[in-house]
Amino acid sequence: MKWLLIGGGIVLVIGVVVYFYFVNLKHQDTASLTVDYTVEAIAFIKEFENDHKAANKKYGEKIIAVRGVVTATEPADTTINIKMADTTTGSYLIFAFQEQHMPEAKKIKEGDNVVIKGSCSDGVYSEILGTYFISFKRSTIEN
Amino acid sequence: MKRTILSLIIATISMISFAQKKTSTSATIAFDASTAIDDLPKAENKTAIAAIDPAKSTVQFEASIKNFAFSNPKIQDHFNQKGWLNSDEFPKATFNGVIINPSAVDFKKDGTYIVNVEGDLTIKGKTQKVKTPATIVVAGKTVKANAAFNIKLADFGVEGQPITAGKVSGEPKITVTAELN
Repeated sequence: MKWLLIGGGIVLVIGVVVYFYFVNLKHQDTASLTVDYTVEAIAFIKEFENDHKAANKKYGEKIIAVRGVVTATEPADTTINIKMADTTTGSYLIFAFQEQHMPEAKKIKEGDNVVIKGSCSDGVYSEILGTYFISFKRSTIEN
Repeated sequence: MKRTILSLIIATISMISFAQKKTSTSATIAFDASTAIDDLPKAENKTAIAAIDPAKSTVQFEASIKNFAFSNPKIQDHFNQKGWLNSDEFPKATFNGVIINPSAVDFKKDGTYIVNVEGDLTIKGKTQKVKTPATIVVAGKTVKANAAFNIKLADFGVEGQPITAGKVSGEPKITVTAELN
C-alpha cells in the first residue's frame, strides 16, 4: 500500500511537471535560430509562382533569411508588417514580426535593402489579388 | 470654362477614387478559443488580405491558416494538424460577403457607420453562412473596418477531445480588423 501511494505520488508529480512544461512553452527568439535557407526575395517569389506545392514542401515552417528591397511597410493593428514584392507580377512576401523585434522593424523604410529572418508559413494564391502571397511569422531584422 | 473643366476633372477623379476597391494585405484576424480552464488556444494572423468594393458593397477576406501565430508552439502544431485545421490540405480561410444594408454607409463622407455583413465563410473546405454587424470608419481615402462574431467549430468539421473536455471553446470568437486603402 505504501509503495502504491509513493508510485502514485511520483506519477502525479511527473504529470504536473510535464503539464506545466507544455503550458509554459514559448517560441524561441528567431534571432537565435539557425537559418535553414538564405534566399533573394525575387528569386524566392518566383519559386512559389512556378510550383507553389514544391516550394511549400521545401520552405514551410523553415527559418529563412531573405535579402531584398522593402516595397512597403504597413500598419497591422498596433504592429507593422514589411513587404517585398515582385512589381512585375504583384506577388509578394509579407513579414510579421516577433514582439521583441518590433522596434527595429518600425525603423525600416520603403526602399531599404535588408535581410529579414523569419519562419516561412506558406505561399498561397490570393483569389482577391490574383497573386501569390508568401507569409512569414516571428520575423526579425538581420542587418 | 477652364474652371468648369477643372472642376469636372476633379469630380471625376474623386468619384473613381471612391468607387475603387479598397484593399489591405495587413488585415488582422484574431481567433480566441480560450476557456475558463485554458487560456492558450488563441492566435492572431496579421497578414490577412481584405477587400471592400464600395460600388458593389462586397466584403472579402483571405488568410493563410499557417500564419496564425500562437504563443505556444505545441498549440500551434495541434491547430495545423490533420485532425484540426489540416492546413496542408486547406491552407486558406476565406470570406466572401456583401453589406446587406449598403445605404447605411456613405464611402464618400467621413464618418463611422454600422453595417450588417452577410456571406460565406470557408474553413477547412466547409462553407457556412455568417451574418455579423461591422463598424466602418471612413476617413478620407482610408476605410477602417472591424467586426467580431462567433463560429461553431463543429460546422467546419473541427471536433476533438480538447473541445469536449472544455480546454478549447467549441464556439471561438473571431475578430477582424482592417485598414483599407
